[in-house]
Amino acid sequence: MKKLKWFSAMIALTVVLGGCASNANQQPAASGSGEETKPAPTLTVAYSEGGTTMDPAEANDLTSDTLVLATYDQLVTYGVKTVDGADVANTEDIQPMLAESWEVSDDNTMYTFKIKSGLKFQSGNPVNADAVVYSFERVSKSSSGSFLYGMADIKSVTAKDDSTVEIVLNKANHMFTQIIAMYTFSIVDQKLVEEKGDDYLKTNAAGSGPFTLEKWDPASEAVFQANNDYWQGAPKLSKVTLKFTKEASNRVLLLNKSDVDMAIEIPPKDVAALQENSNLTVKSNASNRILFFAMNNNVKPFDNEKVRQAINYAIPYDQLINDVMYGQAKEMKSAVASNTPGFTDAGYVYEYNLDKAKELLKEAGYAEGFSFDFTLGSGFDDWEYDAVLIQAELAKIGVKMNINKVARAQFLEQQKDGNLVSYISKWTSFVNDPGYHLGFLLYGEGSSNYIHYNNAEVNKLWEEAGAEPDQAKRNELYMKAQEIITTEAPWAYLYEYNRVVGMNNKVSGYVYYPDEVLRFYPLSKEQ
Amino acid sequence: MFAYTLRRLLQMIPALIGIVVITFILSRVLPGDPAIVMAGEQATDDVIAKIRMDMGLDKPLFVQFFSYVGQLLQGNLGFAYHTGHPVLSDFATRFPATIELTLASVIIAICVAIPVGIIAATRKESFIDHISRVFSLIGACVPIFWLGLLFIYIFYSILGWAPAPMGRISGDLNPPTHITGLYVVDSLMTGDMVALKSSLAHLLLPAICLSTGTMAIVARMTRSSMLEVIGQDYVRTARAKGLSETAVVGKHSLINALIPTLTVLGLQFGGLLGGAVITETIFSWPGVGGYVTDSILAADYAPIQAFTLVSAILFSFINLAVDLVYGLIDPRIRYE
Repeated sequence: MKKLKWFSAMIALTVVLGGCASNANQQPAASGSGEETKPAPTLTVAYSEGGTTMDPAEANDLTSDTLVLATYDQLVTYGVKTVDGADVANTEDIQPMLAESWEVSDDNTMYTFKIKSGLKFQSGNPVNADAVVYSFERVSKSSSGSFLYGMADIKSVTAKDDSTVEIVLNKANHMFTQIIAMYTFSIVDQKLVEEKGDDYLKTNAAGSGPFTLEKWDPASEAVFQANNDYWQGAPKLSKVTLKFTKEASNRVLLLNKSDVDMAIEIPPKDVAALQENSNLTVKSNASNRILFFAMNNNVKPFDNEKVRQAINYAIPYDQLINDVMYGQAKEMKSAVASNTPGFTDAGYVYEYNLDKAKELLKEAGYAEGFSFDFTLGSGFDDWEYDAVLIQAELAKIGVKMNINKVARAQFLEQQKDGNLVSYISKWTSFVNDPGYHLGFLLYGEGSSNYIHYNNAEVNKLWEEAGAEPDQAKRNELYMKAQEIITTEAPWAYLYEYNRVVGMNNKVSGYVYYPDEVLRFYPLSKEQ
Repeated sequence: MFAYTLRRLLQMIPALIGIVVITFILSRVLPGDPAIVMAGEQATDDVIAKIRMDMGLDKPLFVQFFSYVGQLLQGNLGFAYHTGHPVLSDFATRFPATIELTLASVIIAICVAIPVGIIAATRKESFIDHISRVFSLIGACVPIFWLGLLFIYIFYSILGWAPAPMGRISGDLNPPTHITGLYVVDSLMTGDMVALKSSLAHLLLPAICLSTGTMAIVARMTRSSMLEVIGQDYVRTARAKGLSETAVVGKHSLINALIPTLTVLGLQFGGLLGGAVITETIFSWPGVGGYVTDSILAADYAPIQAFTLVSAILFSFINLAVDLVYGLIDPRIRYE
């Protein structure tokens, strides 16, 4: 009896306390307020990570980049082309965005951009030359984005008048317009940021883009509302919700049950099952994400070209692509991704052939084989399977591979130290250009050349190409460099990943971009 | 009682100082450089150096330590670089979710395990006793992540009874007005039946999943301590006095048998916090568990340290609460 009294007192207290707070769902289904005009459809996407920042100059992970591209515009943007019936970005085709036109000086070191008149940020402030200068300055001072500023060789950015911006480069740079089309160089609402303080940009949007940010909680979801005054026309979706679902198998289940309209990063093993669902379409595009087996050119026996080539002949390529990746990957035949303009498979002679591998080892003086250390970074299932399969094949030619598994953060640190003997790693070049790609990874001074590959001729070709304004001639130089690299085999090429996105058949307008970031604006959905 | 409580609270202070020092050292010897993780793969060395400076990692360790302690004393838990928010605001949004999940698991475990334990003890060697033994064994052995995935597959994917494993409430509803941050409590307080229904539905599966281990242990513990008590002289006396079976079991025996069970429950709490990490990841539950996992993967020091500290404080308080409840149950264990 006593207990019952106490319990009812608790309930009463709860109700009394609650009496002063309002009910948040007084009118459930608040979205359906009257049927005068049917609002545009809404879209829900299952994303993996929650993102770290809304600041364009600092964004450098997939989700943050997505948030930025939904809410901001850039001076210029990439065109779109159709390849095999799929819409993909054409990164060589630079199209006007906030800038309606631009002029380039004869020596290709000065660009004068004319900004479209009458454009407004979401706050109502005008988009003007000062905002462009301000945005570029923020990039130059940022942590994450500043390297791109250097990569684009930008010397100065000045506002000539309210709608004219002059950008001077240190030297001619063919990647310049491609780089400033990236999310990093989004144009920020200077007036608003100066009112609110710079930290405002970390968690809020201050752009002119197609969507406004309604809510962003990295632990659960991000919600975007259509910016119906968008200067390119209102989006075809009234609301986009990103649901952060870390567990890949849950993303697959949600998509299968149509609880989400789209899901990114579908595990290769689930693609076949999703394709059987007649409500769904699975888009699997060849991406620019490559996976390679790197060998430290400073460490014996990998300082010997023949040994590295032998390893190239001992990789079970078909097994990796079919058994590990379930066919959601493509063979890789150059250090540069096959989607990149200027790609060539010249010099690629390798195949799975253990006799050939043995022969090369013998020529190199390792007829008895050898043993070496391999560092496996955690976080990617396929890397682990690949490593074990390669280990098994190498054992057949007398080569012992000692796999040493470390956590991702530790892997990145050890990789940077440049002392790893061998490892597997992936790479996506933000800028779809062989110069950018090789400059990081295989140019002698490259900041991500952790295996110390240093070939004087490759270095010279790369430097010459960088200064060559004519694209055809430039690519020829890059192709020569690729051929030398492929022959000298500092890496074994494992595969190029596919970018797998699953979507409901009601969703259309999906465009694949090499940076793998989803743009919402082209998307639409049947009611 | 009051003096005892105060003394216990004071005793926590050296323990917490120890924890602050140890977690600081541990997080610094963790392999992996947070600046490299933050910068991304295409960052140049000078960018990484700049980030390291922003994080204060370029300073000597003891300087870092004292600035950390100085921040702590001002109630500042530091900055979580991998989310771009201060740790305190991350905790404010995430801790209620974890507390709600853990509490729900404890309640489920108590409501199921104690009656099962009692029945198993009073009907020793019966069919029910054997069944409960089998289930306890399974519950104690099954890995949480496997159980979670199985639950989602059966109850959401196949049967469609459970809502989509996405967060704490359906996407088309507003969360209840924020009072405590526990959705179930808040929706009760505001009389928001719509939110109550949805948040209970979302809470049920992860809570059951998380409670299995605790349920198994508490059930076995209740059974064995019940058996011990039932054999005591005073229970025989109670029966001899002609008391009803309900009074004998429910009053005389159970209250004495609950003391070891309480101890186990208190200790289980730590396990629940650990289990919440896995459960939250699987059910996309926006709690602190998944957050800490991410922090560890990103070698993000501040949230790891803060979580360890907060957990230690919570754990100390729960231990204290358990000791105080002993006294309520059994007057012989009153502390003076």
